[in-house]
Amino acid sequence: MLVTRKSLSRRSMLRGMGAALALPALDAMIPSLARGAGQSPLRLAFVYVPNGIIMKHWTPVAEGRDYVMPAAMEPVAAHREQLMVLSGLSQKNGRALGDGPGDHARAAASFLTGFHPKKTEGADIHNGVSVDQVAANALGAATRFPSLEYGLEGGGLVGNCDSGYSCAYTNSIAWSGPQTPLPPELNPRAAFERLFGDGELHDRATRLKLARQDRSLLDSVLEDAGQLKRSLGATDQLKLDEYLSSVRAIERRVQTAEKQDIEKKNDASRDPTLPKPAGVPTTYEEYARLMFDLMAVAFQTDSTRVATFLMGREGSNRTYRSIGVPEAHHGISHHMGSVEKIDKLAKINRLHVELFGSFLAKMKSIPDGDGTLLDHTLLLYGSGLSDGNAHSHVDLPVLLAGGANGAFKMGRHVRYAPETPLNNLFLSLLETAGVREEALGDSTGKLPRLGELAG
Amino acid sequence: MKGFTVGALFALGLFALGLMLPVRSAAADVGRECVYQSQVRPFLKQYCAGCHNARVKTAGVAVDGFLTGETIGAQNGAWEKILRKIRTGEMPPPGLPRAPQSTVNDVVQFVGEELDRAAAARPDPGRITAHRLNRAEYNNAVRDLLAVDWRPADDFPADDSGYGFDNIADVLSLPPVLMEKYLAVAGKVSRQALGRVRLDAVLDRYTAPRNRPQNQRISEAAPVGSRGGIEVEHRFPADATYLLRVRVRFAPDPKVPEFLDFRLDGKLLKRVEVKFTPSDEDEELRRFEIKVPVTAGRHQLLLSFLRDDSKNESPTLEIAAGGKLRRNPLGVDWLEIGGPFDVTGPGNTASRRAVLTCKPAGAKDEEPCALSILTRLARRAWRRPVTASESARLLRFYRMGKTDSGEFEGGIELGLKSILVSPHFLFRVEREPAVRAADVYRISDLELASRLSFFLWSSIPDETLLGLAERKALQRPGVLEREVRRMLADPRAAALTANFAGQWLHLRNLASMKPDPVLFPEFDSALREAMQRETEMFFDAVVHEDRSVLDFLDAPFTYLNQRLAAYYGVAGVEGQRLRRVELPAGTRGGVLTMASVLTVTSYPTRTSPVIRGKWVLENLLGAPPPPPPPDVPALKEAAIGKTMSMRQQIEQHRADPSCAACHAKMDPIGFALENYDAVGRWRTKEGGFEIDASGRMPSGESFQNASELKRYLRANPDEFVLCLTEKLLTYALGRGVERNDKPLVRAMARDAARDNYKFSSIVLGIVRGAPFQMRRATEISVQTKEGRHVGD
Repeated sequence: MLVTRKSLSRRSMLRGMGAALALPALDAMIPSLARGAGQSPLRLAFVYVPNGIIMKHWTPVAEGRDYVMPAAMEPVAAHREQLMVLSGLSQKNGRALGDGPGDHARAAASFLTGFHPKKTEGADIHNGVSVDQVAANALGAATRFPSLEYGLEGGGLVGNCDSGYSCAYTNSIAWSGPQTPLPPELNPRAAFERLFGDGELHDRATRLKLARQDRSLLDSVLEDAGQLKRSLGATDQLKLDEYLSSVRAIERRVQTAEKQDIEKKNDASRDPTLPKPAGVPTTYEEYARLMFDLMAVAFQTDSTRVATFLMGREGSNRTYRSIGVPEAHHGISHHMGSVEKIDKLAKINRLHVELFGSFLAKMKSIPDGDGTLLDHTLLLYGSGLSDGNAHSHVDLPVLLAGGANGAFKMGRHVRYAPETPLNNLFLSLLETAGVREEALGDSTGKLPRLGELAG
Repeated sequence: MKGFTVGALFALGLFALGLMLPVRSAAADVGRECVYQSQVRPFLKQYCAGCHNARVKTAGVAVDGFLTGETIGAQNGAWEKILRKIRTGEMPPPGLPRAPQSTVNDVVQFVGEELDRAAAARPDPGRITAHRLNRAEYNNAVRDLLAVDWRPADDFPADDSGYGFDNIADVLSLPPVLMEKYLAVAGKVSRQALGRVRLDAVLDRYTAPRNRPQNQRISEAAPVGSRGGIEVEHRFPADATYLLRVRVRFAPDPKVPEFLDFRLDGKLLKRVEVKFTPSDEDEELRRFEIKVPVTAGRHQLLLSFLRDDSKNESPTLEIAAGGKLRRNPLGVDWLEIGGPFDVTGPGNTASRRAVLTCKPAGAKDEEPCALSILTRLARRAWRRPVTASESARLLRFYRMGKTDSGEFEGGIELGLKSILVSPHFLFRVEREPAVRAADVYRISDLELASRLSFFLWSSIPDETLLGLAERKALQRPGVLEREVRRMLADPRAAALTANFAGQWLHLRNLASMKPDPVLFPEFDSALREAMQRETEMFFDAVVHEDRSVLDFLDAPFTYLNQRLAAYYGVAGVEGQRLRRVELPAGTRGGVLTMASVLTVTSYPTRTSPVIRGKWVLENLLGAPPPPPPPDVPALKEAAIGKTMSMRQQIEQHRADPSCAACHAKMDPIGFALENYDAVGRWRTKEGGFEIDASGRMPSGESFQNASELKRYLRANPDEFVLCLTEKLLTYALGRGVERNDKPLVRAMARDAARDNYKFSSIVLGIVRGAPFQMRRATEISVQTKEGRHVGD
């Protein structure tokens, strides 16, 4: 049974109940935080699509500014001046390297880490730290959430996820530590409540009181867990350590929010600019748009500056009936050259890009600082597989979008030497965001030619 | 460990399982080595070493190095594998010479005994890491503690699973986002339990399922003289006034008056006449609303139309030949519940009763009362007595909350929140005893009580169990068994169905299956729900009636409602309630031929004998095939049923020798189920092709169809019972079953066989076994780590 929920405004309550109890449309976007010109911080977002892409419809033929927009990207053609197609980039650590089957798990796990994940179904998962988390570590202190992870498809499935790899590798693309995948938020209502509270929009005095109580609770928890830990064996201590570090992370988060509250900085970020969603919408398209909207609002209210978005779990078997694809996505991604299947895959690719495009449009419609939110954002859209049929981890589909605060010269297709590490791009992205890293995963240096028009 | 040495305890455990104590003597050693040299070694040489030798090492196994019988105990990992392959007849592969069955039996018996002996000589109950509560456990714990039934943990990130289950201690991690949610949900649960929420009015809309016919009673709860409508269970947050608003679809019968009844918990609130002409476009006429005072808590709301027996409904409601109603009867579109308005109080809810066990008469009583409430709740939540310093801290939080809010209940709220974010609630931690006599020790009664309740209830112990543990009475003769039986009979044992069966049978995947609506137009949410309930109720029956677990393989009964019965072709079942139905001999019975299982093992557009075969090997026979190599060619989907059958396609595919080794095991089992399509419907043809459902087990026995396959499995239950025992043990312990556990699993299965394979015999075997009752100290874990032996 479908259930939806709406808040009733005070106004309608005052007017009492009855036929007149129509709900007022919630106000459209409110202006975001007032900021001086040019002061807008850069936001980073990483959007992942599963099962590879039909590359013949993706990669432009010509390089430079005058490339012909390939079929797969037509839905975002309107944003051409704020797009950059990069070809030739690879995640070689997604390859088997002696580990046998499991390319989907490795594709997702290596995409943002450039790391070869350990093949295991059990406790000893191991992966590198992902680029979004490196950014979150450096930039996260300024916002209530160091990073946000959203997704449209998640775990909870029974059985191992891909040929002996733990489901953790396909459920998450963000990793804050070698053993800490960050699971994406799948429920729009829960995502909303994280941003704006669970329907109890407290006044500042109450919020400050709650923050003080929470700090006390967390202090006491730290003390408790510390004591408990001393009475335990080594493996148990590891579990408690994980708990302790999560408690500390939340304590910092509570403090940041409290500080901003005291300095009266985040009043705007406490006001929802969209109605609270009731749950997961029934169609994929609505679901994706809603989650993208939430991400846009999180950026708009400066609740976070780093986000990842999983449009589907790697190896996803979602069906896309609304566009005439009743078959399971992963199933047909092994198309073996079948024209019919390739056409269907191209439709799926196009739908994903279209949804991404409406997100870009949304960001563009939101004023931010001296321009739009899109101007102050750098988005990376791509997949850990290029040819899903052959499980190829090289020449990955990589599309940059957004104004990137002017750091990159967008509007181009740039081709790099085959097997250039994708992580080289990540180093450059981090630098643009003001995060200096010498190396990341399998990087060999920063990626050239991003900021210059020549080439 | 009063009065016992650890060795004796372990032996007791094994003794209870019917094993003989190992006899150590030099003469016996010589005798056994003699058997190894005269029987086992020649067997290996003749039937195995051709492929499995140090030079070729097929599948990574070499048997020519096993020079003495000592190697069985020393390299038990490799030997466990060899034992299984020989026992099941999987090896030697078809086509190669086999030993006479009597020789095989002798070897199997000897190797099994040696492995058991080695395990008894080196007891290792394993070690379970500190266990974070998973989502199901968190939900159940707050339900049992505070009567909070809105499943707050459903918003937590999904728990990762390992070994097929999502309660594996090693795999359950705790990222910061989860801690953030623990903190937020602890606050929300505490507030809501006390009814201290800020009550903003909300409007909840329930849309009536479109596939429930509006010309019949919609549920068993609906009055007999009613038809159509909507039934919802709704949680009302406070004693207050609420608005019930309904929209009807289609139009009333112009000739006869139509009435709509509003009922709350079965009591008629109001009867309204529905009267408008279909041409009337005024939306307001389609909406009806009433205002009613409702008490806080869950209530059932039922809206239905009065069935007028004086009028002949059939001419207008008859289903036309095309399957469409000639005239759509007036139906309910949706029901909205708005409120609360004019709140009169938090109400006397089950949650408030669970928390507020005393009421302070004056200011002087407040702190003693708060202390008694919070200490009692903390003891239940933390599954152990609360220390003095912990009580003092609870009181501190009470004071802080009281000061901040100015209210007694505000203090209780913060105290409760502190209980729920404590590591003692969120983790199941077992402590190393300060003094221990050996590397292997018995866990405390309190720890055992928690293991029991999380195994059988996925929740915290109740008062009875906790009390027994506190009095250290749990280990007294008869008590443990009595408790297990009591707990299995308790409604909370439904957790075994939801969590164990849901994952073992992959039933949890059913909700996300998306069969192609063009190919399978019948498949809708009502059918999906009935399929799910059938399997759940069947599993419940095996547990509650303590039936033989072999019933899972084949049984003469199942649970059906009208819809599912029609789907299965079973006559004489009417109404929407599922009930027990004796099955005519033939097509259904047992989990293997349930529509739920058949659907979760299919693709959206077609069946997959490979997935089904793999599912059987993995979940019923405990012999999972290895993952496929990369770059496997796909089936020519469009051709299936047109130019060749599924079977022909797959057989062609299997001609590739690199595929054949594993597919020869999986596919023939899957073929037996080809009479059931991708949503579990019976069929005899696939497109233009007759279904050929004959196949063969890895050991060579052949069968003609699913019935014969089920009969074979039931007649040869050993592998199934081992498999189920291992799965249940994994789930019970929350850790993977290791090679050192295998002898115990075998012993449990042997024991179960003597007790007619009763479900309780397996549960009791697990609960009495060393891995459940004991724990290994950390220090010796290094020696027993997997991978120590070459050749494993």
